[in-house]
Amino acid sequence: MKQEFEKVEQEALEAIKGISDPTGLKTLKARYVGRKGVVTALLRKISGLPPEEKPETGRFANEVKKRIEDAFAKALQALEADRGEVTADTLDVTLPGRPLARGRVHPITQITKAICEVFQRLGFEIVEGPDVEWDYYNFEALNIPRDHPARDMHDTFYISENIVLRTHTSPIQIRVMESQSPPVRIIAPGKSYRVDSDISHTPMFFQVEGLMVQENISFGDLKGVLTTFAHQIFDEETSLRFRPSFFPFTEPSAEIDIRCVICRGAGCRVCSHTGWLEVLGAGMVHPAVFEMVGYDTDRYTGFAFGMGIERIAMLKYGIEDIRKFYENDLRFLEQF
Amino acid sequence: MKVSLSWLKDYVTIDVDVIKLAEALTMAGLEVDGLVDRYAYLDRVVVGRIVEIAPRSHAETLSLCRVDVGNGIKPVVCGATNIKEGDLVPIALPGAQLPSGETIDAGRIRGQASEGMLCSEAELALGMDSSGILLLPETAKPGLGVAVALSLSDTIIEFDLTPNRSDCLSIIGIAREVAAILKTPLRYPRVKLPPGETPIEELCSVTIDAPDHCPRYAARVVTDVNVGPSPFWLQDRLYSVGLRTINNVVDVTNFVLMEMGQPLHAFDFDRLAEHRIVVKTAQEGQAFTTLDGVERTFGSDMLMICDGKGPVALAGIMGGLESEIEDQTTRVLIESAYFNPITTRRTAKRLGLNTESSHRFERGVDPVGVRRALDRAAQLMVELAGGKLAEGVIDVYPRPIPERVIELSVKRTNRLLGTRLSQDDVGAYLKSVELDVEPLDEDRLRVVPPTFRMDITRPEDLMEEVARLRGYDQIPTTHPVSHVVARKPDKKLRVRDRLWQLLAGCGFSEIVTYSFIRRDACDQLLLHDQDPRRRMVSILNPLTEDQGVMRSSLLPGLLATMYRNSKQGNENLKIFELGKVFLYTTPDELPEEIEMISGLWTGARHVKAWHFKETKVDFYDIKGVVEAVLAGLNIAGVRFAPLTGTDFPYLRSGYAAQIQVGNERLGAVGELSGEVLRNFGLNQVAYCFDLNFDRLVDHVSEEKRTKALSRFPATTRDMALILSNSIEAQALLDFVEAMGQVLVEGVEIFDIYTGSPIPEGKKSIGLRFTYRSSERSLTDSEVNNIHETITREVLKKFSARLRPE
Repeated sequence: MKQEFEKVEQEALEAIKGISDPTGLKTLKARYVGRKGVVTALLRKISGLPPEEKPETGRFANEVKKRIEDAFAKALQALEADRGEVTADTLDVTLPGRPLARGRVHPITQITKAICEVFQRLGFEIVEGPDVEWDYYNFEALNIPRDHPARDMHDTFYISENIVLRTHTSPIQIRVMESQSPPVRIIAPGKSYRVDSDISHTPMFFQVEGLMVQENISFGDLKGVLTTFAHQIFDEETSLRFRPSFFPFTEPSAEIDIRCVICRGAGCRVCSHTGWLEVLGAGMVHPAVFEMVGYDTDRYTGFAFGMGIERIAMLKYGIEDIRKFYENDLRFLEQF
Repeated sequence: MKVSLSWLKDYVTIDVDVIKLAEALTMAGLEVDGLVDRYAYLDRVVVGRIVEIAPRSHAETLSLCRVDVGNGIKPVVCGATNIKEGDLVPIALPGAQLPSGETIDAGRIRGQASEGMLCSEAELALGMDSSGILLLPETAKPGLGVAVALSLSDTIIEFDLTPNRSDCLSIIGIAREVAAILKTPLRYPRVKLPPGETPIEELCSVTIDAPDHCPRYAARVVTDVNVGPSPFWLQDRLYSVGLRTINNVVDVTNFVLMEMGQPLHAFDFDRLAEHRIVVKTAQEGQAFTTLDGVERTFGSDMLMICDGKGPVALAGIMGGLESEIEDQTTRVLIESAYFNPITTRRTAKRLGLNTESSHRFERGVDPVGVRRALDRAAQLMVELAGGKLAEGVIDVYPRPIPERVIELSVKRTNRLLGTRLSQDDVGAYLKSVELDVEPLDEDRLRVVPPTFRMDITRPEDLMEEVARLRGYDQIPTTHPVSHVVARKPDKKLRVRDRLWQLLAGCGFSEIVTYSFIRRDACDQLLLHDQDPRRRMVSILNPLTEDQGVMRSSLLPGLLATMYRNSKQGNENLKIFELGKVFLYTTPDELPEEIEMISGLWTGARHVKAWHFKETKVDFYDIKGVVEAVLAGLNIAGVRFAPLTGTDFPYLRSGYAAQIQVGNERLGAVGELSGEVLRNFGLNQVAYCFDLNFDRLVDHVSEEKRTKALSRFPATTRDMALILSNSIEAQALLDFVEAMGQVLVEGVEIFDIYTGSPIPEGKKSIGLRFTYRSSERSLTDSEVNNIHETITREVLKKFSARLRPE
């Protein structure tokens, strides 16, 4: 009896190998383990065996049947897997997974953090200040007296004659220097406000201002720190250009351009075909500012710099219209 | 400021191409904003050869010409009589825009097709003759651009000058920089005055009543002038920098303004009452009509130029209508003055005027250049308007601008810049821009800046000159040497970081909205009259009424964002904002700035997908977020309770909770009231939370202590209660906790049910108790005993009964 089973198993396993289509395989399966199949017929014969042989043979027969069935299943699966079909006992693993809502941190927040982190690695400390600020801190202490033409560079929102919406985060420099002696190494991120609204200006925008004051700080050091910054925020290939400029609270003053991150200097629309992008304003702290806060101008020198965060974000993410940041369209936010 | 390259070349030799020049100037601090081909407007004006002129009858004034334009023959209708067949003429093709503003179209004139226009030199702004068509030299080839055929080439350099460089607001100012940068010689114009006739003192007088506002006032008189058009070269210079031509006298003043940067004014001498000039401040409320025909009212701090009777000009800003130069003017008084920059700026700002003249006086003109410019203008007027010069000059200079002497230490210069320049190097850079330099000792230099450099007042200004002339790129890049001291970031910053992570992790996206909102936002939020958020900070000069006040709540921004997104079809939103709100205090103090964290959830709980049906967000979803966030911030003792007071009128009553830690309220969470939503144009249910971040930070604990984990198994028992609907779940939980059963590890509410078979006014609450000891395995009977005790107490306390199994 056992031999008969073994023979049938052998035959069946051989036969499976010769079949290459699922229908053929199903027919073959029916011929062996179907209701009228060979194995089924053999199984029926077990009932005619002597009682002492029944359990042993029965067990053996069932094992054989199971092995044949498994072989068919495996063969069928292999055939179907080849064709990429889905069967009842497999999942469509290409269906999307159960969605988990993923929130995004606003791109301005992300870039602000990235910028601050570069300076934190250099030992700068983050400080903040009020958005609504005294005219004194926003202008006068920064060597921008009333009736100075430099005020034209800042279209200011006024709350009263002496209170303004800060036009930059530079007043934080003054607040820090008033309360702390050198050495000072700070970075001041925050909202700033100017009366301006078009494709490249919003009435509210974010700025990061930095200040380093101690003995023997030079313009060369300013170049070094800002070069490090540009290399970390963009990449090591980014070259910088320092141009003389004017800010009432620094002297010498500089504007800093980076090689266009889009065209690498070849000239494109983003850089107005100049190959350069203006990203930073900076300079050595003006002695008049030190005098205002009572720092010893013979002993200390320092540098300050500032940048618009939107500008950096626009360059990094390829955003053309600054207003997109404050429209908060989910389709925009979800890209970050 | 615009500068014509060809004009610039009158004063300085330029031996590099204009692109290199522009870059060099930019790198020396005079930023070039653009380079414009001056003759770009001639791009569609080409050389044409007249092939044929159709004969015309006497009645007709126009004739039809056929013109060879290189790539074809064009029909052109023309009225000129100075042309014949074979002539070479300029033809403006369709699309060309002439200096007059006229655009040429192909069209029909008197039934004849005409595909262009033959032009006179005046029509092309290449000369003044408008009597006939400009005849081009024989060498010109048909089809060639007229600018090329006439060898016309000029570049307009557009500068974006910084406010400190008033000395560069002139062609000579720029030429001076070019000379220093390119190391080529500078040629100042030679001023040579003819001998004068009547002594000026016999003709007029000048009095300065306000010497602080007007430190210097100089005048010359030119008689017997013939007012008429300027010669073409002068007109051409003015055109090149975007100025109009008026007449020879006014054009001269504008020419000198552009050339030397000194604003001048020409008065009709015979219209000056009593032939005298008085410089004084205006009377408050005094009215006067300026050259532009606008009547303006003055304040007592504004400076006027008056004659014997009254005002004739607004000092340094604009002349008056009554004394302007007219065709019949024969005698001219030329004014050249130094007006106080602050006076000029205040007046110009107050009147909303910004003229070429005020722009320069505000920034400071050269007090010494006043005379040079006056003489230059007098010379040109005599030359070009055929005038005679009055003998002498009136020059009232009551407040001489003192000479500035600055001592510069070369050592300190090197220390500030990080350079190793010698004293000679430093001196040479300064001399190259006309500073007077003498060594005082080994280290120091005595420097006297020229009077036109009003911006140089202290040693650092000189250091900047040295740096920019050397080139910032030549300063070595170094890294600062510093004490390494680390300070821990402010707690607020750390909590903010954590909050961003937690909320993003809960699926909320951050928005950033403007800090200013509409004034009526408080009404939209239904805030009551005494609500502190009604103390809004107003902006005196808002961009729009929608941005008129500083926000006192983050909700208007969230709701406006919901509105904008719903218009874009983004119906499902989970958003938050972390930012300041502003509350007015007193006029003499800054407003109170409070940082808030607020969020909004509207639409679906899950974004619809194949896995599940869409379900709407409800109160417990947003409460869950708040709980998760506060737990994530490690804030202990947070309690939610029904709203009390009137601080949250924008939340739907009965569907919102206030959030407390101890006795302090952090904020609230709940459903927005339908009325508020409608006030913002919304009709979809929305939930929000609104928390005071500053208070929240105080409660954040940054300490963490772990508890030992019990090795023994836990056992659970359920308690299904039927009790009054009015009993809050929190009361049950509080009561159980207060019993202080140490073996109770936790209690969870696993079921809430109302409705049949639970009687009206009652609800069923299922509690699951977890029991565990840290010392041993609990026996069933032990657990049953405690559970029964708790059950008994609970039933008694809340008049509850057990729900039948």
